[in-house]
Amino acid sequence: MRLSTSAIALVVGLLVNHGAQASELPQRWVSAGGALSEWVTALGGESKLVGVDTTSQHPASLKALPSIGYQRQLSAEGILSLRPQILVGTEEMGPPPVLAQIRSAGVQVEMFSAQPDLPTLQGNLQHLGKLLGDEAKARELFTGYEQALGQQKSWLTKAQATQKAPGVLLLLGHAGGKPLIAGKDTAADWVLQQAGGRNLATHSGYKPFSVESLAGLSPDVLVFSDRALSGDAARAALFKENPILAATPAAKSGRVFELDPTLLVGGLGPRLPHSLVQLSAGFYPSQAKPAP
Amino acid sequence: MTTPVKPKTLFIGLALLCVLAIWLSLALGPVSLPLLDTLKAALRLMGVPIEAQGLEQAELILGQIRLPRTLLGLAVGGVLALSGVAMQGLFRNPLADPGLVGVSSGAALGAAIAIVGGTFFGGLPDAFGPYLLSLCAFLGGLGVTALVYRLGRRNGQTNVATMLLAGIALTALASSAVGLFTYLADDATLRTLTFWNLGSLNGASYSRLWPLLLVAAAVSLWLPRRAKALNALLLGESEASHLGIDVERLKRELVFCTALGVGAAVAAAGMIGFVGLVVPHLVRLLAGPDHRVLLPASVLAGASLLLFADLVARLALAPAELPIGIVTAFIGAPFFLYLLLRGRA
Repeated sequence: MRLSTSAIALVVGLLVNHGAQASELPQRWVSAGGALSEWVTALGGESKLVGVDTTSQHPASLKALPSIGYQRQLSAEGILSLRPQILVGTEEMGPPPVLAQIRSAGVQVEMFSAQPDLPTLQGNLQHLGKLLGDEAKARELFTGYEQALGQQKSWLTKAQATQKAPGVLLLLGHAGGKPLIAGKDTAADWVLQQAGGRNLATHSGYKPFSVESLAGLSPDVLVFSDRALSGDAARAALFKENPILAATPAAKSGRVFELDPTLLVGGLGPRLPHSLVQLSAGFYPSQAKPAP
Repeated sequence: MTTPVKPKTLFIGLALLCVLAIWLSLALGPVSLPLLDTLKAALRLMGVPIEAQGLEQAELILGQIRLPRTLLGLAVGGVLALSGVAMQGLFRNPLADPGLVGVSSGAALGAAIAIVGGTFFGGLPDAFGPYLLSLCAFLGGLGVTALVYRLGRRNGQTNVATMLLAGIALTALASSAVGLFTYLADDATLRTLTFWNLGSLNGASYSRLWPLLLVAAAVSLWLPRRAKALNALLLGESEASHLGIDVERLKRELVFCTALGVGAAVAAAGMIGFVGLVVPHLVRLLAGPDHRVLLPASVLAGASLLLFADLVARLALAPAELPIGIVTAFIGAPFFLYLLLRGRA
């Protein structure tokens, strides 16, 4: 019985081997990192994913996959129970002893950099493309991405000729309460800059602010990123919890915009250029909207 | 007070429970292994020559993941429970827990320094890096406890009440220092810090295990030898010294053993609450306050409890994993309330 099963497996294996030159490529993927999972999906590898971490929220279909928990707190046996051939994640993935255990079980562990810049993205996409067996698609995606960001930049230069960069604050909150302000060295700061905003916060990291000093900075634009609510509900909650914000120039001129908080995790994701276009259209209202 | 359970029955029961916990901890996990494979792999690990055919996965999971994890759980659970008994004996108060002398908050401070300040120690040799967190936590726990002990001493006497208050003050101080580090931390380190504070047996490896096993063995062999002295201390300090017990030395030993044991446990597995408080209570309910029974029985009970809690932690959300501190507190807190309401505490 046992023999015949393995014989069938062998034959099937040989056939598959023969059929696809990609037989060496890993077929069962576990991804720990929001942006990475999105890229794997964009490269056509969604059907290969057998598990994702809690930061992988996009596309929504990924939420149906088994969750391996938070990327920094992975469980070796939990991941091995999904019988993956490869585990991909950013350098935030851990803890290291667990990664060592997973590696020793013969699973390929690939770390990617979450650095938000184009050369890193290019390297990551190339690597992913190779692992998924579609390098052409990876190149195509990167070129498109580069172009989108290039267009965004030239649009910005034009816009900034007529209007100076608005002072922006980014508020990261939970249902409006006690928002954290994004300072230097954060993904949020990078996003604001790319969208043509001038971040008024000068501290580093995400820190709570007293609302008083917040209003004192008199931001031209407020960007909020709420983990619990979205859309108008989040906007309403923000002003309800922090009434003093209503006195800022941003609120008076109605320039309060939303940013999806999942964009701020794990490096440059495929949805970023589109969000940048939307944000900068809000930052420079007089300039004609850039092509999306 | 009558003891409801005879010591012999209790020890047999607890030993069986502990063996069951060890077996389940080795046999169950997110990866489902056939029972036969688990047995064969276990025998192979013990050196019985069985053909390795088809056992590679079982052996790897058992030997590299579940066995170190089980050993870690045994040592951490046993040491935490034992330290709980030592502290409750020292303060002659069943509400005492190892955190009272500052060892937990000191370890948390050490961990926060290592996690948040880790980047400042950039020039460390690579071999040392992975152990920085454990080492800092251990030294932090030991350091704060030593300070608490020192503050409780006056004229060659250790005043337990002063020590208690000093412990509370230093715990508050250490917590606010941790708070400061939390404020300084960026998003990612913050998460690491939070998870560390919830404890986990995840990622146990032999190289981290040996120091803890040594400490655990030393402490659980040493403390039961002082059971009679602890019994005498229950009567009061002066009564104990009239009975010929060197009370100062006993106090020093209790504090030292707790600092060493809890420091090593916390360094290896992060903060795991409530085991030190609840397990001695549970055993006392079953067997009465005699330390000759209480000490060894608590080791067994603490080790078993932690293994069962870890089973919940690794199976409840598989393939993800729950921090074990959440599980122990979920079991511990309601039980503690139950004790309070029964008027026992």
